[in-house]
Amino acid sequence: MREARRDEIHYARFGAGWRLWSMRLLSLAGIGVSSYLTWAHLAGQSVACGQSQDCDIVQQSVYSEVAGIPVALIGLAAYIILFLLTLVRGHIPEDLEDYVPLAVFGVSLIGVLYSFYLTYLELYIIYAICRWCVTSAIIITAIFLLSLPDLKVAPSST
Amino acid sequence: MTTTGKKQRRSGRQRTGITTTHILIVAGAAILAVGLLVILNMNRSQTQPVTALTYETGLTADGEPYKGSPDAPLRIVEYSDFLCGHCADFAASLDVLGPEYIETGKVQVIFRNFAFLAPESSQAAQAAECALDQGADRFWLYHNLLFAERGTGLPAYSKPRLKTYAKQIGLDTAAFNQCLDSGAKKEEVQSDLDEGRAQGVQATPTWFLNGEVVRGALPESELRDLLQRRLLQGS
Repeated sequence: MREARRDEIHYARFGAGWRLWSMRLLSLAGIGVSSYLTWAHLAGQSVACGQSQDCDIVQQSVYSEVAGIPVALIGLAAYIILFLLTLVRGHIPEDLEDYVPLAVFGVSLIGVLYSFYLTYLELYIIYAICRWCVTSAIIITAIFLLSLPDLKVAPSST
Repeated sequence: MTTTGKKQRRSGRQRTGITTTHILIVAGAAILAVGLLVILNMNRSQTQPVTALTYETGLTADGEPYKGSPDAPLRIVEYSDFLCGHCADFAASLDVLGPEYIETGKVQVIFRNFAFLAPESSQAAQAAECALDQGADRFWLYHNLLFAERGTGLPAYSKPRLKTYAKQIGLDTAAFNQCLDSGAKKEEVQSDLDEGRAQGVQATPTWFLNGEVVRGALPESELRDLLQRRLLQGS
């Protein structure tokens, strides 16, 4: 009986129903967007952008790579990690599971901060906005916000 | 033990769960990680000094700038946009292979504008054509400088900046500015674009090695291999 109650606590601690599913869907969407951008960058292909060339300007700017690694690839890695984190519930030791919300918080925080920096570059340095990048920024910010309620600090023990 | 709520149960467990300290540490690490990414992104080319050309340059019969010898067995016709990152990479690869292939008369490189990315592309292409008016060597110096200045994004292609590049490489600025301001090269750049499209060029860089099309830049080692193979084949 106590085991069942413990499971209940975990469920309540990481991702009450809709939030967890939202984070899953959002990270999947993030994987989709960043895969597309990564492929376009590596294949030298043009990025779908309506009538505008702005996406290509951003994608081909010097800022689209960090130490030789496409920025989109870094985003893809982050989204994959986030997606996996939303799946581990029930599959890893309970002690570790306590820290999953912290991991989601940390990874998405990196994503949010970096996206803000990249958006700043688009607005004030490159003077071109890539709508896909904006989409990703919105996605990662949403994931970050959704992760905050789960950061319940444990009350001081005993 | 009666069940009086979650709090009671929590105090029975050994785990501490997430603490404020944890959150602060993770947040701090996140900030450091992003800082690192930003710094890595910032190590961009500071403006490179304009180095003198070491190869032969000239104009083809069609008025296109070339570098290398017209008698070279291998001829590369390159369609590029000055705003295009991969074009900059391609130009850099060609530069590295220059002493080995271009200066030695093995490869001739002919440049054609394919200014399609943005209005700034056309303007930069026009500026390069204005530089070409003052000599093929001036064109290549201007071309090198344009690619070197990519680091700062679109502002690098503003009219004032385009004019300072001309000054930097010692062009007759009165003539250059007049050429650029009057839009004298606009039609030419447009017809180069149309001609490129007619040849099947859709993105940049697209180049033709003795007539055979290659889409995209090649890393230097692959480019070298390709040129070597062609030279050995004697085509």
